[in-house]
Amino acid sequence: MSADLIQFFTVNWLGQLIVIVAQCLAVTVPLLVSVAYMTYVDRKVWASIQLRRGPNVVGPFGLLQPFADGLKLVLKETIVPSSANAVLFIIAPMIAFMTALVAWAVVPFDDGWVIADINVGILYLFAISSLGVYGIIIAGWASNSKYAFLGALRSAAQMVSYEVSIGFVLITVLLCVGSLNLSDVVMAQSGGFWHWFFLPLLPMFVIFFVSALAETNRTPFDLPMSEAELVAGFHTEYSAMTFGLFFLGEYANMILLSALGAVLFLGGWMSPIPYAPFTYVPGVVWFALKIAFLLFVFSWTKGTLPRYRYDQLMRLGWKVFLPVSLGWVVLTAAVLQFGGWVPKS
Amino acid sequence: MPKVTIDGVEIEVPAGITVLQACELAGVEIPRFCYHERLSIAGNCRMCLVEVKPGPPKPQASCALPVADKQEIFTQTPTVKKARNGVMEFLLINHPLDCPICDQGGECDLQDQAMGYGFDRSRFHENKRSVPDKELGPLVKTSMNRCIHCTRCIRFATEVAGVEELGATGRGESMEVTTYVEHALSTELSGNLVDLCPVGALTSKPYAFEARSWELSKTESVDVMDGLGSNIRIDTRGAQVMRVLPRLNDDVNEEWISDKTRHALDGLRHQRLDRPYVRRGGKLVEATWDQAFAAIEAKLKGLDGTKVAAIAGDQCDAESMLALKDLMTALGSPNIDCRQDGAKLDGPRGSYIFNPGVRGIDSADAILLIGTNPRWESPVLNARLRKRYLSGHCAIASVGPAVDHTYPVERLGAGPATLRDLADGKLGFFEKLKAAKHPLIVVGMGALVREDGAAVLALARDLAEKLNAVRADWNGFAVLHTTAARVAGLDLGLVPGEGGRDVEGILAGCEKREIELVYLLAADEIDTKRLGKAFVVYQGHHGDAGAHRADVVLPGAAYTEKPGTYVNTEGRVQLGQRAGYPPGDAREDWAILRALSERLGKTLPYDSLDQVRARLVAVNKSFAALDQQAAGTWGIFGKTGALTDAPFASPIANFYMTCPISRASKTMAECMASRAHLMAAE
Amino acid sequence: MASLDRTARAFLLTELVSGFALTLKYMFKPKVTVNYPHEKGPLSPRFRGEHALRRYPNGEERCIACKLCEAICPAQAITIEAEPRDDGSRRTTRYDIDMTKCIYCGFCQEACPVDAIVEGPNFEFSTETREELMYNKDKLLANGDRWESLIAANLHADAAYR
Repeated sequence: MSADLIQFFTVNWLGQLIVIVAQCLAVTVPLLVSVAYMTYVDRKVWASIQLRRGPNVVGPFGLLQPFADGLKLVLKETIVPSSANAVLFIIAPMIAFMTALVAWAVVPFDDGWVIADINVGILYLFAISSLGVYGIIIAGWASNSKYAFLGALRSAAQMVSYEVSIGFVLITVLLCVGSLNLSDVVMAQSGGFWHWFFLPLLPMFVIFFVSALAETNRTPFDLPMSEAELVAGFHTEYSAMTFGLFFLGEYANMILLSALGAVLFLGGWMSPIPYAPFTYVPGVVWFALKIAFLLFVFSWTKGTLPRYRYDQLMRLGWKVFLPVSLGWVVLTAAVLQFGGWVPKS
Repeated sequence: MPKVTIDGVEIEVPAGITVLQACELAGVEIPRFCYHERLSIAGNCRMCLVEVKPGPPKPQASCALPVADKQEIFTQTPTVKKARNGVMEFLLINHPLDCPICDQGGECDLQDQAMGYGFDRSRFHENKRSVPDKELGPLVKTSMNRCIHCTRCIRFATEVAGVEELGATGRGESMEVTTYVEHALSTELSGNLVDLCPVGALTSKPYAFEARSWELSKTESVDVMDGLGSNIRIDTRGAQVMRVLPRLNDDVNEEWISDKTRHALDGLRHQRLDRPYVRRGGKLVEATWDQAFAAIEAKLKGLDGTKVAAIAGDQCDAESMLALKDLMTALGSPNIDCRQDGAKLDGPRGSYIFNPGVRGIDSADAILLIGTNPRWESPVLNARLRKRYLSGHCAIASVGPAVDHTYPVERLGAGPATLRDLADGKLGFFEKLKAAKHPLIVVGMGALVREDGAAVLALARDLAEKLNAVRADWNGFAVLHTTAARVAGLDLGLVPGEGGRDVEGILAGCEKREIELVYLLAADEIDTKRLGKAFVVYQGHHGDAGAHRADVVLPGAAYTEKPGTYVNTEGRVQLGQRAGYPPGDAREDWAILRALSERLGKTLPYDSLDQVRARLVAVNKSFAALDQQAAGTWGIFGKTGALTDAPFASPIANFYMTCPISRASKTMAECMASRAHLMAAE
Repeated sequence: MASLDRTARAFLLTELVSGFALTLKYMFKPKVTVNYPHEKGPLSPRFRGEHALRRYPNGEERCIACKLCEAICPAQAITIEAEPRDDGSRRTTRYDIDMTKCIYCGFCQEACPVDAIVEGPNFEFSTETREELMYNKDKLLANGDRWESLIAANLHADAAYR
């Protein structure tokens, strides 16, 4: 009986499909719920920093606020501007949202808990996150509005710029791991937090985090949405669920980059102290906690820093992060080569 | 010409004027309450104190002090300032602090001057004086607590209005302005008391609490209630005319206006025609302009011009009368008339205007009134006659109705026979007229609307010429019109053309069905029953007699709602301005006629008010000079003929209701009731 | 040394760290927000909220239609029409305030000689439609009746300074 079931789910195409859909749902549903609560946490954190209360009316402690907001977005009318390119206008938020979700396929939640344990995981991530720019560019162009267009241009330029340094950051990690498989990256950091990469590669971790802020258009790099100049940037013309998809995609991206940070620098699902009782805690919980910590820092940053000027943003990306990360790649490679620590695989 | 120094500035002033007037000439403002330049000097408010050198060491009342040569006048010294402050404080002791509920608030002399001379708190802790309010009729509301005893009202009633009904009892704090026996004032000028009162003791009753002075937009215009064309200021709030005030014009109305001029305005709110009507099945039903025009067009189709007639009303502006005349000419109709009352006037301009002008009354030294009661026909002009009487050396006589003119008039007789006797030099007054340098003969409508009107006119001309009253330097022949539109109508030739019919002829024609269509331009004073079966088009602003009989009603504008040219009885051309817009679909009258003419295929050659006014000048040059009296040409006019024995009667039987506006006015009805009550009491 | 110090500080992100520390510190301080619908902040007796027309204790309306508030109103939000009442006193037949125009400057209550029009302590009068914000005399008098005790107390408290 059980053999039959195993047979069904592993060999039969229908069974395999059911498994894949189940896996996708298992990732997507908690992810979307986290996105929802991320907005809540964001608002609570900013409120705390500003000595305010934050949402506290809908549900106990305002816990139902994200659902109220979501419901509002769903129920509102989707407005397509008469001068917009309707097809692209509708497609753009879908692209933005989808790219944010599909990247999760290669993220390892625990040992073996990964939908696609592919050997080019990092490359895949890199490719998918680059695709996200298309959603934004298309949205800005299809809106046929100057604010949206300028916002999209800024956003694209910014994402492209910081992707370069993120790329170099990834390369340093790859050099240390010797594999493109994300599970391998985590395994390479096993054995307590003193084995995690954030310590030897601290400058790279900082660059990665800052670039992640820029990549997700978060403060202090939220120029594409600057209200004062661009009345919300590339999604100026979007309303209701089309706007909602951008919103979800953006927060999903934030969570994704936090997850990536956790995988690359904070030892993924590994317990910080590799002894009991810490090892009793499931890996996925450690992973979630690490993501949560990084997300908190995202919010904290937004509550702390003012917005960059555009030239400052570009200067930071090209004149600071690029040379520093490039230098650090060379340095890491040299240290590995001459220190005899080149990983074997 | 004495030379005086006012605050260090030397100025030469005419002899015999007062220090206050001298200061005014020098441009120095002197505060005052009791002084009024058209009233006698009382000198009892003491607000106008100044220091004078040489003179007593105390401040002097400048309004009552004649200027003397080499006088030094100080108006700004600390003594003067302190004296005025003291006067002001005394005035305010008993003046209630009720500015918020006082209608004078915002235009109050006491308020204004208290800003300059008032103390910021009261040192008077006793009870204020309380004075019972007086009943002065339906127009003047009293609040005697506010009275500061300037006696302007008493002097006005006594001197200008000529009714010695107001006076003061008591002295000092016990002084009260009163009518002794409580009754309404029996003058047609009582509204001016309100203007004169420097405080809120006398306010306008119909206007009570309606608006504040600062809410009103002010439009300078001309009155159409009588033939004088008083200069008025129309105060409107939003679309509504709130009040009418006199405007200063020494040539016409000085600064007085009659009660009808001032208070008939509530008639503008009632019984207005605000949309066209067409009679269907015996009833007037609401229609569009297009339908109304279509009805007229249908009736006129194929109708001979001689079967069409037009009558212009008494309050029309010159523009609309010109358009009417031009339209009738285009339709080929000679039947047009502007003399609803049938006055026999159509001679040269000198035969139908008040040749010497209103100002001429001041220099007249013998006055003969023929068939007129100026007190009702033009109360302000009557006040001018009274002013002339008061200044002395002027004999005034009348041939006509026995009425109280407010000044003594020698009544020579009642009818044309007396006039003939006078013309033949059989009466003693003839010699007085003959001896006068500036004899003035005022011919009223009462003498001209009769069957023998032309003969009476000829007789009056004869008399004037016999008296040498018509000379190069003086023309003492004066026709006193009772209506605002008449002179303009005559100037524009709104009299029957070749073979045309006058009003009587038109009405007779209607009865005999010789006239098929009658166009009434705001003409309500005719006997509408005599219009017979004729198709009547009424264009006007009130649902009065004409509109009730009409088959098509075209809503026009009242005098406050259109810019219009009016010619007063002197032949003075004056412009009325628009103070508001006509209600509903109503339009300016000349524009209605212009639109109708286009519909009828006889388009009138003007599209704008400027073009109409250019055409006015083209028709009669006297329209070119605004606010001036063009001299009347003299000639042979009138028709010598048989005179009847019927006595002259004034055409105005009821002063308060002479036109559609005043007939619709509730205030005027109240005045009428009040006057009837007064008459009955006497 | 100074340049070294500066460079070291820049590379060690000291400014960032101190900034983050500050915001973190604030995160744990007590909240200053008033939990509005449930708790309310204190109001000055001079608070200028919703308008009200007051009455005398005997029930007679105070307003005498002097129109000073209408004249002073910089937003021209007040419209008054007046006529003599049957007893001859000066009263309004219409007293409208367009609350959408009002700028709550308080000039009307300053101008009022009889303390009839006042801006009361109520600020919770939002409506669902614009029309409801066109206040007429009845509404204003009703406001007066409703808030009279508070208004009177406020006027009394502020009387010494007026």
